[in-house]
Amino acid sequence: MIKKVHHVGIVVRDMEQAMRFYRDTLGLSVHKLEAIPEQGVSAALLTLGDSEIELLQPVQPDTGVARYLDRKGEGLHHICFEVDDVQGDLDTLKSRGIEMIDQTPRVGLAGRICFLHPNAMDGALIELCQPIDGPEPARAPEPAR
Amino acid sequence: MTELTLDHVVIAVQDLDAATRDYGALFGREPSWRGEHPAYGTRNALFRIDNTYVELLALSGRSGDPRWSSELARFLDAHGEGLYALALGTPDVDATARAMRETGIAVVDPTDGEGIDESTGARRSWRNATVPVKATNGARLFFITHLSSADALPPAPVTATGGSHVKRMDHAVVLSADMEAARRVWRDQLGARLALDRTFPERNTRILFFRLGDITIEISGGAEQSKEGMGKPDRMWGLAWGVDNLQATCERLSAAGIDVSGPRAGIKPGTLVASAKGPATHGVATLLIEHAPESFRPESRVAHGQAYDNSEGTRAFIATALDHIVVSTSDLEATARKWSEILALYASDTHKPDGTGFRLAKLPAGNAFIELIEPLTADHRIAQTMAERGQGLYSISVRVDNLDAAVADLRAKGVPVSDAEPGVWPGTRIARIPKSAANGVSVQLISD
Repeated sequence: MIKKVHHVGIVVRDMEQAMRFYRDTLGLSVHKLEAIPEQGVSAALLTLGDSEIELLQPVQPDTGVARYLDRKGEGLHHICFEVDDVQGDLDTLKSRGIEMIDQTPRVGLAGRICFLHPNAMDGALIELCQPIDGPEPARAPEPAR
Repeated sequence: MTELTLDHVVIAVQDLDAATRDYGALFGREPSWRGEHPAYGTRNALFRIDNTYVELLALSGRSGDPRWSSELARFLDAHGEGLYALALGTPDVDATARAMRETGIAVVDPTDGEGIDESTGARRSWRNATVPVKATNGARLFFITHLSSADALPPAPVTATGGSHVKRMDHAVVLSADMEAARRVWRDQLGARLALDRTFPERNTRILFFRLGDITIEISGGAEQSKEGMGKPDRMWGLAWGVDNLQATCERLSAAGIDVSGPRAGIKPGTLVASAKGPATHGVATLLIEHAPESFRPESRVAHGQAYDNSEGTRAFIATALDHIVVSTSDLEATARKWSEILALYASDTHKPDGTGFRLAKLPAGNAFIELIEPLTADHRIAQTMAERGQGLYSISVRVDNLDAAVADLRAKGVPVSDAEPGVWPGTRIARIPKSAANGVSVQLISD
């Protein structure tokens, strides 16, 4: 089911300051900047070979990412794996009793996505995504952890 | 000492009407004021923007105080049009003049001045004190206290749309061959706050940033002080203007026939910049700047994508791939079982490197692999991180094309990267960047 590592998500306090390292020092190209005010995050996607680094900055308190930042500080947040069929994989995982954050796929930055509960994977937060071709639809927030 | 502000900047021009048209186009605004200084023998046009105002100054053809008319005529003869003076605002110009004299700056006695708007007849008055350029190492400065209320000079009406007008001044650039002298003048005598003094050896550049309110005065010179440069006068060089939407600004300026190049990434991280060139700038090196955090807008994406493209150009090294992601666990077998049962990612290799105090499993995942790691002693750094943050995602490993060049380049940029050493996976070499330098993420650089 898993095709590749689509991206690694990193929660940062200050996007501009994070860009200084990931863009200016490591030299990664930024291919997308997103502000999603209604969801309280800004995101930057940086290309790293055929994978990506996703920087997430909470811009409002009381979102999952903001709470994560408060509790744990900046750092690695999740791994997103690209899959062919996010609905099918989600159904399979649920039928096997795997603890999920999302009970149905929703639209995120990476396409149609769902998150497994970190308890299911010994603390690692895993996202599955199925990229969407064509115009980008409206977005749903990154989950609480 | 009272903190000075950048009250306004003065650009010397030959043809005031042409310059007013050009700056109106550049700014996307109508002037706030067009008038004359009867006592000075000069005419001007003013554009008030958010944090300062801009004065285009020309000779009126009538005689006036030589401190203004003759000085301006000499400047235009010697240099042509260009950035002429910085006016430093103070609430009490007489007190400031006295204080400056105590620091050794030979300020001329303050005098009252008046300007008359040529269409409305409105008058504005002030009190100012000029400074001989010798006293400031070449930068032409004067101190000013406005006697009229601030609303006597209204904001320059915005004519451009879509965030494409100039909102504020970002910084002014002064070129200096004698950086130590410039530092003395701006910091020790004028009392401006020195916000940055940085040398870039690879670009043979040193810059000093002084803050006047929210505007930066950038003094730029060579990395090393040359003997020939000592005592040479500084040169007022250029101005940088803040806009909300640089892409829209560039499109608007191009359509208006102004030669503009950009947007591209600015040297200051998080900025996009474009330069305007040609006759419309009237001899002022002109930069337009957008600060990225305000520009996380859909319409800026294209511009950002281009401007932030690091794939071209000469870089010391290239980060070519995400090599692997390290996931910590207190029980390697149990966690590996979950990864295989839930995600169908299977351990292709397990490994206990000699003398390392941990065990590893490699789980290939297409373009990268997951490395599960179990520390075997409680004092291992990974065990300590697990005690603080719990088990789970620990670090990422980024493949680079040239590890030694990467280490050298990162160190030159001030990143505390470790020496290259053999990696735990056979045939690899790695260097570590501490999480304090990478937003809480332990980053490993890896190559074969």
